[in-house]
Amino acid sequence: MNDARRTELERLISRISLGDRDAFDALYDATSAKLHAVCLSVLRDRPEAEETLQEVYIRIWQSASRYASNGLSPMTWLITIARNRSIDKLRARGSRPVTAPEDAAASVASLEPCPESATIMAQERQMLNECLAKLADAQAGAVRAVYLEGVTYADLAQRENMPVNTVRSWLRRSLLRLKDCVSQ
Amino acid sequence: MTEDAPLTPHEEDQALAAELALGLLDDDDLAAANTRVSEDAGFARMVLDWQERLAGLAEELTPVMAPARARHAIRERLGHASPPLANDPTERRAWWRGPMGALTGLLAIAAVAAFLWMPGQQSPAPQPGFQAQLQVQDSEMRVAARLDGREMEIATENGALPSDRDLEIWWIKPDGSAPVSIGLVPRDGNLRMTLPEGLDPAEDIKIALSNEPLGGSPTGQATGPVVAISDLTRS
Repeated sequence: MNDARRTELERLISRISLGDRDAFDALYDATSAKLHAVCLSVLRDRPEAEETLQEVYIRIWQSASRYASNGLSPMTWLITIARNRSIDKLRARGSRPVTAPEDAAASVASLEPCPESATIMAQERQMLNECLAKLADAQAGAVRAVYLEGVTYADLAQRENMPVNTVRSWLRRSLLRLKDCVSQ
Repeated sequence: MTEDAPLTPHEEDQALAAELALGLLDDDDLAAANTRVSEDAGFARMVLDWQERLAGLAEELTPVMAPARARHAIRERLGHASPPLANDPTERRAWWRGPMGALTGLLAIAAVAAFLWMPGQQSPAPQPGFQAQLQVQDSEMRVAARLDGREMEIATENGALPSDRDLEIWWIKPDGSAPVSIGLVPRDGNLRMTLPEGLDPAEDIKIALSNEPLGGSPTGQATGPVVAISDLTRS
């Protein structure tokens, strides 16, 4: 995401936190197709994704005032709200919420806004695809499926035909390898 | 990192932060990790960094426009808009809606028309617009897409949708990027929407219809055959 777009989204979110409905409409225009795709990717059900998208934007409206302090880039914040809400819905077909609230980490008062952090993370983003390509296909596929489809360890164990503990340690190592690669 | 070496404490923390960000923890593990987030700023930072890092995966998803009713529903739920028929129809009509108002309106229109027809006057330049006519294969059905600036309208001009299938509308850019779903051909009335960022009307854009299960493609990518495709042309 380029800087101009990031700044524009941040400006819209801060206006929304003041109750600006035009800014809310503009944010919806700019981001709803992407967030709808996130809901659809996890839920694979049009009506449920549409309902979830509504809840996501209601949450955005209600929590915009807390955005400034959470240290996430605007698009990550929006995507994380959409993904978490969708994953919770997906899991609710079985049990109960499992995601960390997207602003939970932000509630730690001592979190310092790191000026360099945003730039570093933007570089990592670009590396992400390159680094995923360096993982074995099964590992990269598992990381994608967990993030984009909300697949669980139990699902992965079934898919890969491995015990849950083995699949967990395998995915954890894949994630660490990915992190080492992107933050090089 | 070999497959057998145990993770270092720092690696354990990173892996746990990733699992929390991904929603892979249950029960006690989840509760413990959430407690840690509220008490350990370093760990909280790791969770945020994982959220940031992984959000890049969503960049590869093809955007899918939600139907216009989603936005209306959000506005209603937030109290930003009155639902249709929220106005009491028995309420006294405003004067300009009564017969005198209609007469005044007609006079005003006549005055404007006379002004526009005066010799030497140029009529205002038309808004740049585009359109596409989509004749559905092996069917009577014809759908028109019309663009006025960034406002798009989809209208069924002939025929009707089958009761068991929907037609999904796709915006196809010439650069070979994945088609963007812009909604479903409506069963009644016309579909109106504002184009989202990144979709810019031009003559090299194609609009296509694919045949999908009711409610549209469940994956966000066309699953059924493309039954109509047409270039945007200037209208």
